[in-house]
Amino acid sequence: MQIGLDPEQRALGKASGALAADLASGWDRGRGPSDVASAAPSDADWARIVEAGWPALRLREENGGLGAAAVDVAVLVEQLGRHSVAAPVIGTLVAAEQLQALGAPAETLEAIAAGELRVAPLLDAGLLGFAPSAEGALAWDSAGATLAYAPDGSAHALGEPLPTADVTRSVRRPGARVTDRDTALRPPAGDDRDRLHAFVLTLLVADLLGTMSAALDAAVEHATTRTQFGRPIGSFQAVQQIAAEDLVSVEATRSALYFSAWAVDALPPAEALRAARTAKAFASRSGVAVCQDAVQLFGGIGMTWESPAHVWLRRAQTDRTSFGDEHAHQAVLADLDLAPGA
Amino acid sequence: MDFSDSPDVAEFRAGLRAWLGEHLATYADGVGYDSAEGVAATHRWHRALAAAGYVTVSLDPEYGGRGLSDLYEAVVNEELAAAGAPPPPPIGHIAHAVADFASADLKARVLPGLLGCTESWCQGFSEPGAGSDLAALSTTATATDDGFVVNGQKIWTSWAMWADRCLLLCRTEPDQARHRGLSMLVVDMDTPGITRREITLANGSREFAEVFFDDVPVPAANLVGERGQGWRIAQHMLTYERGPADMGWTGRLGNVLAAAQEGVRSGRLPADDVLRRRLAAVAVDAQVLSWHVARSLVDRSSADPGSSGSIDKLLTTRVEQELYAVVGDLNGAAQVVGEQRPFNEYLWARAQSIYGGTQQIQRQIVAQRLLGLPRG
Repeated sequence: MQIGLDPEQRALGKASGALAADLASGWDRGRGPSDVASAAPSDADWARIVEAGWPALRLREENGGLGAAAVDVAVLVEQLGRHSVAAPVIGTLVAAEQLQALGAPAETLEAIAAGELRVAPLLDAGLLGFAPSAEGALAWDSAGATLAYAPDGSAHALGEPLPTADVTRSVRRPGARVTDRDTALRPPAGDDRDRLHAFVLTLLVADLLGTMSAALDAAVEHATTRTQFGRPIGSFQAVQQIAAEDLVSVEATRSALYFSAWAVDALPPAEALRAARTAKAFASRSGVAVCQDAVQLFGGIGMTWESPAHVWLRRAQTDRTSFGDEHAHQAVLADLDLAPGA
Repeated sequence: MDFSDSPDVAEFRAGLRAWLGEHLATYADGVGYDSAEGVAATHRWHRALAAAGYVTVSLDPEYGGRGLSDLYEAVVNEELAAAGAPPPPPIGHIAHAVADFASADLKARVLPGLLGCTESWCQGFSEPGAGSDLAALSTTATATDDGFVVNGQKIWTSWAMWADRCLLLCRTEPDQARHRGLSMLVVDMDTPGITRREITLANGSREFAEVFFDDVPVPAANLVGERGQGWRIAQHMLTYERGPADMGWTGRLGNVLAAAQEGVRSGRLPADDVLRRRLAAVAVDAQVLSWHVARSLVDRSSADPGSSGSIDKLLTTRVEQELYAVVGDLNGAAQVVGEQRPFNEYLWARAQSIYGGTQQIQRQIVAQRLLGLPRG
């Protein structure tokens, strides 16, 4: 039993965090909703992302990737959440993993790994999971992406970004077919589908963990410096009690992420998926709760566009809804555990 | 990252399972604290477990332990819970305090009885005027030529009615401020001047007592550590007492959850969609708790647990109280009319946010020591 990050994973977290912070500093949410910079990275930023190996991280070596473990990818994604990175790294990782699970040809995956082909995953209109076809689907975390593939291998161009709660990530509709970019895909085996699903849920847990911990840290910092009644507001018990419960949620979510990420590669697919659903259900609820508390702890300033508090809450709500919120996963788990004869 | 058992842990687990398979039936019957027979059965069970080498396995072999990491204590708790066995003796925190702070002579005198479970111990901390504010305690141990004379009153002393010895936190330095004036003594419970009075809890449980000390002589050799070191020893103990793994809680919560799930599957506990969803939600929380406990234990084997035990206790409390609330609601009318064991268990769960440091005090510890928020 060895629970926690090894020295290499800690180094990966540190390096990823540094680049994530730098990317985030170049993105500007502007002065209001109509003034937000595009979530799409500049060519220079995308080149840095590719140079860091992020799109290639999880792809297998025969597909031009680095073959990283799910734990490593989770380490990266936590940092993306921590710094509210706008660039669509998670969308790219999810799309790449899906295409690999659907048996996409190596040259398609190599192009993704090399950053030359920028793809986004297609989700159903309820954002509950991968779309069965392009019809009515949504291209998720797709800023700057040029294509999205339906499970039948058809390539689709992407439309303009839709209005979204999350100002750091884009959702677009698939549009015209791009037939000369079609690729050959096959339906995944049940095991591959479960493992893919577990991996994707785990990434969302990682993004929620990064987002909620950033929100809590900033709220604590604010409560330490903001004074009322001649004292820092963080010295009041009512404020301390909220922040303490939030740290319990953050640490429990970290434990859930560690198990879920380990399980993706270490446990049989059905067990990995069950763990990931459990982690996603927990993180969805606790992540949003902590970000809501951060808004509260910031007080009036937390309700302004200028404060980052709403950015975290927007991102957490989007992570929560994407690939199923706590209610969706609890319903599945209830069926697994409570159906007669289960 | 690896949540699975190492070969050593797997071997230890298998050995314990085999032992339980062979011996549990002999000892499990009638264990409890509601009658003299129950107490005797409990002590028999503890002695059997100790003789087999499964009590305080994390203590150094020099003192009678097996020198294993805290992980193994958790394995003992898990396996006992999974087998439906009574809990192990709750003495880990006392054993660590004595082993880490007492003189060689005192250790030699008391550790064999403690670890062998031939002597039963209690812990005298809380007082009527010192609950959450433990450092305000006023039981005094006044120095004499050959030791101390103790006067005062303790309350919420678990198992005091049957204890042979008490680890007593008391004030020896009245001129020192609050926690600096405290010391830890080992007190023989048959010393003249000690009076015990049972406390019956709201759920009928009879494990607690008040203990009164009237001019109780205690030899100087029974001082644990040094005079004025009591607070430090108490803090050391509490870090071992707060973790859910120390209390064997997660495995037992797992049993309660599994029984509720089985009740719903079989139709014995009718559940509409709302109740099914609440049960699924608390199952999620219980699962995350068990992962968190595993992580805490591994962290703790390489670093002092410090204040992170407060996080574990807060998380355990959340899960336990919601679990019993859901189980109560699944029982419906049977909770209020009929056999009262489920309702009494629900009542007992309400104590989780009070004993061992209230929910509010734990949050204050987390806020000030872990988040660094300023003291009020």
